[in-house]
Amino acid sequence: MPDRRTIEIRVKRQDGPDRAPYWQSFAIAWRPQHNVLSALMEIRTNPMTTDGERVSAPAWDASCLEEVCGSCAMVVNGRVRMGCTALVDRLDQPIVLEPLTKFPVVRDLVVDRSRMFEALKNLRAWIPLDGTYDLGPGPRLSPEVQQFRYALDRCITCGCCLEVCPQIHRDDPPGTGFVGAAAIAQALLMNLHPTGQLNADERLDALMGPGGVASCGNAQNCVEACPKDIPLTHAIGEIGRQTTIKWIKDIFVR
Amino acid sequence: MDHLETKTYDVLVVGAGGAGLRAAIEAVDQGVSVAVVCKSLLGKAHTVMAEGGVAAALATTDSRDGWRVHFRDTMRGGKLLNDWRMAQLLAQEAPARVRELEAWGALFDRTPDGRILQRNFGGHQYPRLAHVGDRTGLEMIRTLQDRTVQAQRIDVFMECTVARLLTDDGRISGALTYRRESGRFLLLRAKAVVLATGGIGRAYKINSNSWEYTGDGHALAYDAGADLIGMEFVQFHPTGMVWPLSVRGILVTEGVRGEGGVLKNSRGERFMFRYIPEMFRGDFADTEEEADRWVADVIAGRKAEARRPPELLTRDVVARAIAQEVREGRGSPHGGAFLDIASRRKAEDIRKKLPSMYQQFFELADVDITREPMEVFPTTHYMMGGVKVDPESQAATVPGLFAAGEVAGGLHGANRLGGNSLSDLLVFGRRAGAGAATYARAQSGEPGVETRQVDAITAELLAPFERKGSESPYAVQDALQDMMGTCVGIARTADDLQNALAALGELRARAGRVGVDGNRQYNPGWHTTLDLRNLLTVSEAVTRAALARRESRGAHTRVEHPDSDKRFGTVNVVVRRQGDAMTVVEEPIVPVPGELRDILEGKD
Ligand SMILES: Cc1cc2nc3c(=O)[nH]c(=O)nc-3n(C[C@H](O)[C@H](O)[C@H](O)COP(=O)(O)OP(=O)(O)OC[C@H]3O[C@@H](n4cnc5c(N)ncnc54)[C@H](O)[C@@H]3O)c2cc1C
Ligand code: SF4
Ligand code: SF4
Ligand code: FES
Repeated sequence: MPDRRTIEIRVKRQDGPDRAPYWQSFAIAWRPQHNVLSALMEIRTNPMTTDGERVSAPAWDASCLEEVCGSCAMVVNGRVRMGCTALVDRLDQPIVLEPLTKFPVVRDLVVDRSRMFEALKNLRAWIPLDGTYDLGPGPRLSPEVQQFRYALDRCITCGCCLEVCPQIHRDDPPGTGFVGAAAIAQALLMNLHPTGQLNADERLDALMGPGGVASCGNAQNCVEACPKDIPLTHAIGEIGRQTTIKWIKDIFVR
Repeated sequence: MDHLETKTYDVLVVGAGGAGLRAAIEAVDQGVSVAVVCKSLLGKAHTVMAEGGVAAALATTDSRDGWRVHFRDTMRGGKLLNDWRMAQLLAQEAPARVRELEAWGALFDRTPDGRILQRNFGGHQYPRLAHVGDRTGLEMIRTLQDRTVQAQRIDVFMECTVARLLTDDGRISGALTYRRESGRFLLLRAKAVVLATGGIGRAYKINSNSWEYTGDGHALAYDAGADLIGMEFVQFHPTGMVWPLSVRGILVTEGVRGEGGVLKNSRGERFMFRYIPEMFRGDFADTEEEADRWVADVIAGRKAEARRPPELLTRDVVARAIAQEVREGRGSPHGGAFLDIASRRKAEDIRKKLPSMYQQFFELADVDITREPMEVFPTTHYMMGGVKVDPESQAATVPGLFAAGEVAGGLHGANRLGGNSLSDLLVFGRRAGAGAATYARAQSGEPGVETRQVDAITAELLAPFERKGSESPYAVQDALQDMMGTCVGIARTADDLQNALAALGELRARAGRVGVDGNRQYNPGWHTTLDLRNLLTVSEAVTRAALARRESRGAHTRVEHPDSDKRFGTVNVVVRRQGDAMTVVEEPIVPVPGELRDILEGKD
C-alpha cells in the first residue's frame, strides 16, 4: 500500500547532452489519482528537493496528456512506459524516473528521437506521389484490410519498442543500426496500401539491407512494451516472409 | 548580434500541425525553399488529438450530400458571421483534399462495400465526417508527416519557438526563434511567413488543449501589425473533467449524456430541468420520470414516445447552466457539476457502450466511471477568432504574412461545427502554402534584417535571467487562467470584462517581475515566461472584443444582452495594434452574394 501522505519521486537528471547525470528527490503531498505527469507538474510549480534545495524544475516531454501523441515515454521504476498513464497509486515509492536509455538525452527526461524519423526515411515508409490531383472517388478498400491496417496504424512513435529491443544500441552510428519494430510495422502498413503497393519492393529492398528485418532477434520484447498493442511481432514476421520471397525471386531473376 | 545562427528561405511555416504541414507541402511543390518550425516534435502537434473526424461532402455514405449543403450548415453554425467565401471554398474543396490524403497513405473507416464511411455530427445535415476510429487527427498528422519527411527540400526545426516576427519597411522579413533545447537563438530570414500555430486554450485553466496553445500566432501577428477578427468567439465544450488534476480539461463526450448520464449539483438536484429555454420547451422532458422513459426507450431500441432529457440541450445551454450552478455556490468539491452515469446504468453496459471513455479515465486517472460520478465543467476547446486573411490566398493584412488553421479567423464565424477544423487545415493550409509561394516568388531580392531590431529583441528575451525576480512564471500563468475563467468565461457581463481589463494590467506588471533561475538549456521556466507575453496579449484581445460585441451570438454570451442584435450580425470586431495600445473597431462583413444566399435560404 503506498504511503497516503506524500508522494516521493526520484528523478535522474542531466543538464545537457554531454553532462553527467545526477539524482534528485522531490516530495509532494499525496492526492488521489495522480499520474506521473500531473505529479511532475505539481513539482514544477515549486521545485524544491527533499533536502530543501531550490532547483530548476525537471524537464520532460508531453503534449496531449491522454496517450495519443507519444511524447512522454520514460523509464518508470525500471520499466518503459508513458508518463501520462503511469498512475501514482499503482506504483511503488519512491517513484524512480529515468530518461529512455536508447536515445541521446537532451535534458533530464527529454530525449532526442530523431533516429525514428531516420528509420522511416531509410524505409521510404510513405506513398510517393507527385503533385495534387483531383483523384476521383478514391479506391475501394475492404473493411477487413482496413481493420488490419488500423491495427498497425495506431503507432504514436513513442519509442517504447526501441527502448526494450536488445538489437537497438544507443551508440549505433546514425543510419546504420537496426531500424526497429515501429518502422517495420509502418513499412508493412504502406505495403498494404492500394497505391503504396506499387513501391513495396523498394521498401523490402531497404529492409533486406543492413539494419533491416534480419537484425531482429525475435526477442518479442517490443510487442509487450507497446502501449498501443500493435501486433509488432506479427508485422515483423510478415515482412520477414515477404523479404524471403523477394530474396529468392531476386536470385532467379538475376 | 554575435554569432547568431542565420538561415534563409523563401517561405517559413510556423507550426507542424495539419495546417502547417499541408502548407509546407504545397509551397515546396510550387518550387520554393521551405522551412517548418515547431515547438514540439514533429508528429506531436495538437492536431493528433482530434477524434471525431474530418468534415467533407464526399457523399459516400449519403448521396444527398454536396458542397451546397455543407456550405449552408457551416454558415448556419457560424450564425452567418462567417466569411462566406471561405465557407464556400471549404465546402467545395474538402472532398478533394480528403481523397488526396487517402492517396498519400491515410486510412479511413469503410462502408461494407469498401467506400469511406462518414459519421453524423452535430450541425451537419448528413453523415459527413470521414474518420478512422477515434484517432483521425493522428492519422492526418502521420500522413502529412510522412510526406514532409519524404520531401527532401523541407527543412524542419523541431523544438524551436518563434519569439518574434521581423519586418522590413512594413513587410515580413523573417522570424527570430530560440531552440528550446540549447536556448540558442536562430534567425530565420524569409520572404513570406505562414502562421499555423493553432489556438489559445491555455489562457484558461480548464481547457482541452495541449501546452502549446498559448496563442503565439495570434500574438505574433498582432505585434507585427496584422488585424485579428472574431476574438470574442471562444468555443467551450460543456463537459470537461475538472478533477482529478491528471485529466483536468479532458473532454467527456456527449455520448455519456446520450446513454443516460445526468447532471447534478452539490444538493443532488438534476438542475438542467431549470434551464430549458422557452423555444425548446416542447421538445424536452419536464419531469425526471419522462426523461428516464426516453432513456429507457432509446436503450431498448424503441421509438421514444417521451421527450428528451434536458441534459441533451445544445452545448451552449448546458455549458451556461453548469457555470451558473457553480457560480451560485452549488458546485461539486472541485468547482464543477456531477455527471453521473454510474448510478444510472449497469457497469457492464457502460463498459460496452462507452469503451473509450471508460478506458481513458481508468488508465489516465484511476477514475472508474462505472462506480463514481465525474466532476465536469465547461472546458475551453477551440478559438474561432484569429488573423484576418484573404479567403483565396490566406494573406494577412501585413505583406508577406499568411495564416491558416485555428490561428486564422473568419471561416467559422461565431461558432465552429465539429469536423470543420480538420477540413479547414487541409483546404486552407494548402491555399496558404500556395499563396506564400506565389508571393515569395514575386519578391525581388532578399528582405533586409536590421541588426538593431534583432539585438533589441534578444535583449528583451534574455531579460528574465537578469532579474532577481520575485514572481514565478507558473504562478502568474495560474492567476491569469483563473481570472479568464471567472471574468471572460462563457457568460460575460460588462462589469466582469472591465474587471478583467484591470486585472490584466496587474498581471502584466507581475509578468514583468518574473525572474528565472538556471541557464538557457532546456529551461521550461524561461519558456513559460516568454509564453506569458502571448497569453496576456490574446487574453486582452478576447476581453476587448467581448466588450465591444454587445449582443449574444454563437459562442459569445453577454448576460445583459441575451439576444442577437441585427446590427452586430453585419460586422466583425477587429483588434489592431496602434503603437502600444490595443484598439478595437467594427468593420462591415462582405454580404453573401445572391446565388449563395439562395442556398442559405434552402432554395437550391
Ligand atoms: C480534444 C480535441 C478534439 C478535437 N477533435 C476534432 C475533430 O474531431 N474534428 C475537427 O475538425 N477538429 C477537432 N478539434 C480541433 C482541431 O484538432 C484543431 O483545431 C486543429 O488540429 C488545429 O490545427 P492547426 O494545424 O491549426 O494547429 P496545431 O495542430 O495545434 O499545430 C500548431 C503547431 O504550431 C506550433 N507552434 C505554436 N506556437 C509556435 C511558436 N511560437 N513557434 C513555433 N511553433 C509554434 C506547434 O508546435 C504546433 O506544431 C479537436 C480539438 C481538441 C482539443
Ligand atoms: S522482436 Fe525484434 S524488434 Fe522486437 S524487441 Fe525483439 S529484436 Fe527487437
Ligand atoms: S510501435 Fe508501439 S511502442 Fe513502438 S513506437 Fe509505435 S506505439 Fe510506440
Ligand atoms: S503526453 Fe501524449 S502520450 Fe503522454
